[in-house]
Amino acid sequence: MLAKYLVRRLFASVIVVLGVTLITLILMDRTRGTYVPGIDLNPNLRPEDIARLRANLGLDRPFYDWYLTWIWNVLHGDFGRSMIDGSPVISHILDRLPNTLELTGTAIILGVLISVPLGVIGALRRGSKTDHAMTVVSVAGFAVPQFWLGLLLILVFSVTLEQHGLPWLPSSGAASAIGGGDILDRLAHLIMPATVLSFFYLSLWSRFTRSSMLEVLSQDYIRTARAKGMGERRVVYLHGLRNALIPLITLVGLELPGLVSGGLVVEVVFGWPGIGKLAFERALQYDYSTVMGITFFATLLVVAGNLLADVLYAILDPRIRYA
Amino acid sequence: MLGQTPATEIQLPSTAFEGESNRPAQSYWNESWERLRANRIGMAAGVLILILGAIALAAPLFSQFLTHYQYDRIDLLSTFQTPGHPHLLGTDDLGRDTLTRLIYGGRVTLGIAFLTVALSLTLGTTVGLVTGYYGGWIDDILMRFVDMVLSIPAIFLFILMSILFHPTPITLAMIIASVGWGGVARLVRGEVLSVKQREFMVATKSVGARDVRLIVRHLLPNVLPVLIVAASLGVGQIILIEAALDFLGLGIQPPTASWGNMLTNSESYFFHSVWLVIFPGVTIFVTVLASNLFGNAVRDAFDPRLKTH
Repeated sequence: MLAKYLVRRLFASVIVVLGVTLITLILMDRTRGTYVPGIDLNPNLRPEDIARLRANLGLDRPFYDWYLTWIWNVLHGDFGRSMIDGSPVISHILDRLPNTLELTGTAIILGVLISVPLGVIGALRRGSKTDHAMTVVSVAGFAVPQFWLGLLLILVFSVTLEQHGLPWLPSSGAASAIGGGDILDRLAHLIMPATVLSFFYLSLWSRFTRSSMLEVLSQDYIRTARAKGMGERRVVYLHGLRNALIPLITLVGLELPGLVSGGLVVEVVFGWPGIGKLAFERALQYDYSTVMGITFFATLLVVAGNLLADVLYAILDPRIRYA
Repeated sequence: MLGQTPATEIQLPSTAFEGESNRPAQSYWNESWERLRANRIGMAAGVLILILGAIALAAPLFSQFLTHYQYDRIDLLSTFQTPGHPHLLGTDDLGRDTLTRLIYGGRVTLGIAFLTVALSLTLGTTVGLVTGYYGGWIDDILMRFVDMVLSIPAIFLFILMSILFHPTPITLAMIIASVGWGGVARLVRGEVLSVKQREFMVATKSVGARDVRLIVRHLLPNVLPVLIVAASLGVGQIILIEAALDFLGLGIQPPTASWGNMLTNSESYFFHSVWLVIFPGVTIFVTVLASNLFGNAVRDAFDPRLKTH
């Protein structure tokens, strides 16, 4: 049953991925014919040079030809070459991936580690001052623009502290260019962007854990556990939390693609040399093949994340039927 | 984004409004309205949104009689003026009046947010009604398409489309709505699937009502509460997305003022003009906060099944 369900979901995912490539490539096709990247940098280009450049970049081929070649190459692990510098797109992605994973991974782990206990406390002490305070913070977390929170942190912890001669945090990059790169230096660079990113996850998941926990604690099996004289601690953690976390796993699973794309705005604000910043910069330079490669890569992760969340959910919650 | 499960609660499978069937049809709306009115925080947030909207609509009046500046008037002799007199909230790097730009920016930002919601709801509801009601191959094709759109990380789609279309406020709303409708379609389809099974639908069909009549007169009113909730929860999210795109330089371009593009490059003014970072950010924050609080109140009032504990 589970195997059949898996195969069906996998098949659906392949269709979705193919469709996504078609949508994004059509979008790119609308522009690729009109502009050759870098063309305005060289005033000496003759029309025949431009035609040659277009041919080299594959801009003159019909759409279906271009699309099929692209798919064929991707199947062989070739994401094409950058239209700006001619280097393979995949090498750019792999180059930036560790930085992005460092940032978003830290944020997600921090988010889970802090939000679950907070959510449990909120549910157990429902209506208390702690609970209200946490509600206020998470409501604020939903409303604050990430990029602005980043700017404020830079303002306080980089600019103001430095002005007062206090120890300050670096506001840009993943490590210092000169004499940096050791673990403390990287941590100092990581603190602010990771805080901004995890603040959002924190707001999201602590509220979710709280309501999920309240939901579970009102179930009959919890009353049964209490009625048979089980200790409150065991009831809450063994029977309550375990079941309350099941929906959270799906939610975190759905956030996994955010490992690559979720930090884009934060990466730009903090000059973090990750994939999001790369996509952003290359988009401004009309480097379609790179943007396309990154988008496709990130989409693969979304689809894989959805699949993983579904499967985990099906395994963890026996009540789910694979229909 | 619009129509997705709001983060603060678990969305339960829909079972429509049991226990209200033996009351007059009007009472659901009256009851909801009463519940909403009783929510003081929610009502205050709603009033705040109305006030902000009114200020944005009356922007030329404010520019004429309060600030005495045009939003795009450059005055290189009075750049980075501190808040006070004659510029109530100071000026920016080109000597433009911050308050006037904030007020005009509200037009752009709020206008885009409401237009985006309207577009997403119209398209999403149509697709959701059709797929949910007819099922079959139409359902398969359209919903797979929704899966595809929602699988592309939204921020990348926005980037791709905004370098493609060079956004004006209207195209920017269309760009954001081109992702937002997918969530609405899923939501509406789910509602329709559950409402379709109910007896009144079977009864209406058995007396010979046609499809269009069934969809418009019987299904649509039943999904309306879900739509109202999705719309009011969506506004804040869209303002955040729009502000981020403007901030990145991918949305509304200067000299048109928007709350997001007022913050572009603002980190270069940290050392001397902190207000240029503070005012637009606080404006976005307060507006989104009010939208979210109002949205939560609307959800609690119109869809009590989803009420948070």
